[in-house]
Amino acid sequence: MALLELDNVTKIFGGLVAVDSLSISIEKGMIYGIIGPNGAGKTTVFNCITGVYKPEKGKIIFKGKDITGLSPHKIANMGITRTFQTIRLFGEMSVAENIMSGRHSKSRQKWWHGIIHTPFYYKDEKENWLKVREYMELFGLTHLARMTAGSQPYGIQRKIEMARALATEPELLILDEPAAGLNDKERLELLETIRKIRDMGITILLIEHNMDLVMNITEYISVLNFGKKIAEGKPEEIQNNPVVIEAYLGKEDEDEF
Amino acid sequence: MMNTKNALYYGIFFLVLIVLPFFLTSNWISVMTTFLIYSVVSLSQDIVLGRAGMFDMGHAIFFGLGAYSTAILNMVYGWPIVATIPVAIILPIIASILLAAPIIHLRGDYLLVTTIGFNIVFTQALKNNVFGITGGPNGIFGVEPLKIFSITFASQKSIYFLAFFVLLLTLAIIHNLETSKPGRALHYLNLDSLASECIGINTRFYRLYAFALSAAIAGLAGVVFTLQFSAVSPGAFNFIQSVLFFTIVLVGGPSSIPGVLLGTFFMFVVPEMFRQFAEARYLVFGVAMILIMIWRPKGIWPVKFGRIPNYITKE
Repeated sequence: MALLELDNVTKIFGGLVAVDSLSISIEKGMIYGIIGPNGAGKTTVFNCITGVYKPEKGKIIFKGKDITGLSPHKIANMGITRTFQTIRLFGEMSVAENIMSGRHSKSRQKWWHGIIHTPFYYKDEKENWLKVREYMELFGLTHLARMTAGSQPYGIQRKIEMARALATEPELLILDEPAAGLNDKERLELLETIRKIRDMGITILLIEHNMDLVMNITEYISVLNFGKKIAEGKPEEIQNNPVVIEAYLGKEDEDEF
Repeated sequence: MMNTKNALYYGIFFLVLIVLPFFLTSNWISVMTTFLIYSVVSLSQDIVLGRAGMFDMGHAIFFGLGAYSTAILNMVYGWPIVATIPVAIILPIIASILLAAPIIHLRGDYLLVTTIGFNIVFTQALKNNVFGITGGPNGIFGVEPLKIFSITFASQKSIYFLAFFVLLLTLAIIHNLETSKPGRALHYLNLDSLASECIGINTRFYRLYAFALSAAIAGLAGVVFTLQFSAVSPGAFNFIQSVLFFTIVLVGGPSSIPGVLLGTFFMFVVPEMFRQFAEARYLVFGVAMILIMIWRPKGIWPVKFGRIPNYITKE
């Protein structure tokens, strides 16, 4: 059984069909890529999966459960977390506090621990801060723990956001253009990190514009154009698919008119 | 995590508050008692406004509900004051959840207008003597003093220390809040609601939680307020009072405990000091508020994040 399955998912904004009967199936443990030209509806697909949008038609099945139209926090608690195309950190807070936010659903503190601190509170609090330490070490952020997240350079902010998403211990990690705005060195580091995350047993779904990165790292790709899936397959197959080349570069004979 | 420097500051602050009533005139003890009560209300307002970032401009409702619960149960139904305290805490909680639940998803400015509306309805209800128990525009007079076992809190100083105790309790709760999962969740959903949802924070639940907790604390402050004056009247809980609490948080520093305490001092005690200048003091006062907002938009004493334990950065 696939980890995540989209069955004929359709999302309409006014008269615009942003996602048109999209069906994809993601197996556990793979790195899955969704590519397509600007405005193809990639981010909309992510927003449907994570509950930010409710699709008009179709079903989203995660681990055999129908999660279509559930609220984002419920979906996150089931094991799907994401990063955003435009980084969304808690800018005024410290790096460590940002990563701690990812521990929210794993922490078993109840509402009354915000009023009275019981021995359980101290145990739970320590456990989760130690997890934060682990994730900071994984991303090399330890020396920045007390710094304000919003004042960090772009590359670091991307790392913080990924560390935060990982801190929720997801089964499926969704990365929305993780390489956007990164330089070559940072992009190589990102490749390493994504592989490391996969080796932790986490399935990865990513949107990316950087073709090198996509072809390098993904195991399976779906290509979207105008909300429709126009092709799918292994990276090598996609690279040579005439339909895909046409979607990206236009038809060859168009120039002749 | 409280460091030694902070502990020292709080120690000095508490010490000053403890010795102060022995040096003050009766009039000033009264001002300082109200200062303590208003500090508690402002700290509770800060949970909703500063931490969770919701524009609640009807906080006097919960303060008033607490005050009136005690006064009505004591004067109309003859309950001893001690027995009224749980009601004065629980009733504001219920009211806050009922009021906030349908409007909690509203964005800042819409929420603001709605809460002002609630506050106006609340004071009108009090003035019009609903159910014949609120005493109308004059309120309720002659509330009994608090008796716990054989101790009676009748003297001015005893009520001052009662208010001081409630402030300590509030500070302890807020310290616990800001170092816990629910407290952090409030900051997260305030700074980025969508990102919070996507990492699994039930933002609706925690918004209601902020309202309920702050209403409970404001209700308790209301009990002490009733005891201070042995009376309640609608004017003390009108929309202008809510504006005062709202402004205290913004001027002092949202989410910052010392900021809110300083804000209360600046907005309430300082005007009392210049009472001899009558209305002219409000001119200076208004200008000072404007200047603070321009020069220190995050308040007199802005919040500092980074409350993280030391062991996570050390080997």
